[in-house]
Amino acid sequence: MTNVTVVPPSQSDHRSVRNTDDPTRRDGLRSRLTPLLSFCRFEVGRLLRSWKFLAITVGFPVIFYILFLGDHTAGKVVDGTVPWRVYLMVSMCSFGALVAALNAGGTRLSMERASGWARQLRITPIPAWSYVATKVVASMLMVLPVIILVEAVGAGFGGVRLAPTTWMGLTVLLWATSLPFAVLGVFIGFLVTPEAAFPVVTGLMFVLGYFGGLFNPVDQMPGSLQFIAHLMPNYHQVSLALASVDGHTLALSHWLILAGYVVVLGLAIAWKHRLEEARGLA
Amino acid sequence: MSSLAVPLPGAEAHLHPRPSALSFQGVTHRYGSRVALDGLDLEVAQGEVLALLGPNGAGKSTTISALLGLIRPQEGRIEVLGSDPRRSVADGRVGAMLQSGSGIGLPPGVRVDEALGLVRRLYRRPAPHHQIVERADIGALLRRRTDRLSGGQAQRVRFAIAIAGDPEVVFLDEPTSAMDVESRQGFWRMMRDFGNEGRTVLFATHHLAEADEIADRVVVLNRGRVVADGPGATLKAAVATRRLRFVTDRPDPSELSEIDGVTEFNVCGTGVLIDSLDADATIRDLVRRGVPFRDLEITGAGLEQAFVALTGCGTADRVLKAVTPPSASVGTVGRDVW
Repeated sequence: MTNVTVVPPSQSDHRSVRNTDDPTRRDGLRSRLTPLLSFCRFEVGRLLRSWKFLAITVGFPVIFYILFLGDHTAGKVVDGTVPWRVYLMVSMCSFGALVAALNAGGTRLSMERASGWARQLRITPIPAWSYVATKVVASMLMVLPVIILVEAVGAGFGGVRLAPTTWMGLTVLLWATSLPFAVLGVFIGFLVTPEAAFPVVTGLMFVLGYFGGLFNPVDQMPGSLQFIAHLMPNYHQVSLALASVDGHTLALSHWLILAGYVVVLGLAIAWKHRLEEARGLA
Repeated sequence: MSSLAVPLPGAEAHLHPRPSALSFQGVTHRYGSRVALDGLDLEVAQGEVLALLGPNGAGKSTTISALLGLIRPQEGRIEVLGSDPRRSVADGRVGAMLQSGSGIGLPPGVRVDEALGLVRRLYRRPAPHHQIVERADIGALLRRRTDRLSGGQAQRVRFAIAIAGDPEVVFLDEPTSAMDVESRQGFWRMMRDFGNEGRTVLFATHHLAEADEIADRVVVLNRGRVVADGPGATLKAAVATRRLRFVTDRPDPSELSEIDGVTEFNVCGTGVLIDSLDADATIRDLVRRGVPFRDLEITGAGLEQAFVALTGCGTADRVLKAVTPPSASVGTVGRDVW
């Protein structure tokens, strides 16, 4: 059969070719979590090192904030009570979160899937869902500094003054309500080819941003557009954020719609995954 | 010389003296209406280095995807190391180098050591870092960025990643397709060493030379079925097969079977079809016996023809079994068939 000397391991001892004395051997719950933490660290490290990514995610909302906060807006208020500089800061936090999440998930994930790296990770011991989960977590970790930076520009350049606890609450709220964008980004990454990813992501950024009232308050839109705006996740995120700034109750309907986005997009990712598996493309 | 179509008694036992590492039982997989695997049966023993040879679309990649649990075939049963393929992958006992499609199969924007480090941390019992680096010969590449590697270098890094989890079984899907001749030789040397440690290696290729040189055993796939299975030397003999067609008034099957070099023949009316391992000898013998042949036509049979043709023309499907002694199977150079 062969003239090559092979030392066959016996059946009971079939793992003998492995290195059993490896010092990196780990056990228990830690052994299940460590790989996922490593994966997250790896992903965030990659994102942070990509200067193009950082320039886009941080640049857009900060530039828009500065541009739209002209002197002529000094006495402008939204919804009767909210000063324009606060409204714009919250809007640009929402926009920054959207841009960060769509770029981190959509464009890069799409490229990564086309390159075969995603498949390579699928045949490591980590479960299939953890790939998606890690991407969502990494996107969320990228969103947080963008929110904080826009808030800093709001406080420094825009002169927004809030109590420390309000800043804290606002930051946490904006961050938590960015989850739909992170899931949306990953869904786009699963759905489109790398060539299509850039236009799709850019288009979504501005469509969701515009119709979500980020550049132009929803109460100043015509009625038909207001109806569309009420379907946009950014509108509900901004509504919750403004309510928290003003100390109003955080209406359940906003939370439910945002949660609905997460659930529907999560199911869509699972569906796309199944489909690819059936076609042997996964 | 080996008998081409008749499995010898005991051939099966000779092939599988060791516990089974991979097992396919009647596995059928369709992509829509296209059949990729058609009732595939295959057993691979632990420690075996096996080449899957076949033209594009023969089912090689589907076989590997199924072994990794990336697809679930509609029918049949697959076991990897005695478990469900996904179980074996989840237990970190399997490594693979897949076809990378449009990209290089590595994450862009990171260094080689970071990518390798990540993959090692995804396994509970990875191979030691220095061992992987040495085996895949990537010491000089560790600080390089993955998007700045040549084709051959990228493949070495991908091999390192495939063996990072210290797997018992490794699958490689056309691993040398992007390499020049020199990188190819180095790569196969690396893989051969890896297989010599008693690990099971299955690789897909469409180069007979590679299959013959590296593998203990070569399995030829076509249209999702095994059409030949044996040591490379046996297959190379089959490549030497010539197909003779001629017309004769009174074909005599008993005489045809005795003609020199004939391994297979078929009579349809006055038409005769002969597969011969030595066309010259066959023709000399036909003349010597005074067989009144006319319209003689001789065609060289490539591997594909040699085996696929065996399954055609009303004859039952046949599987070539390993019967040749081990002497000539390694170190000889065949030729590319496809």
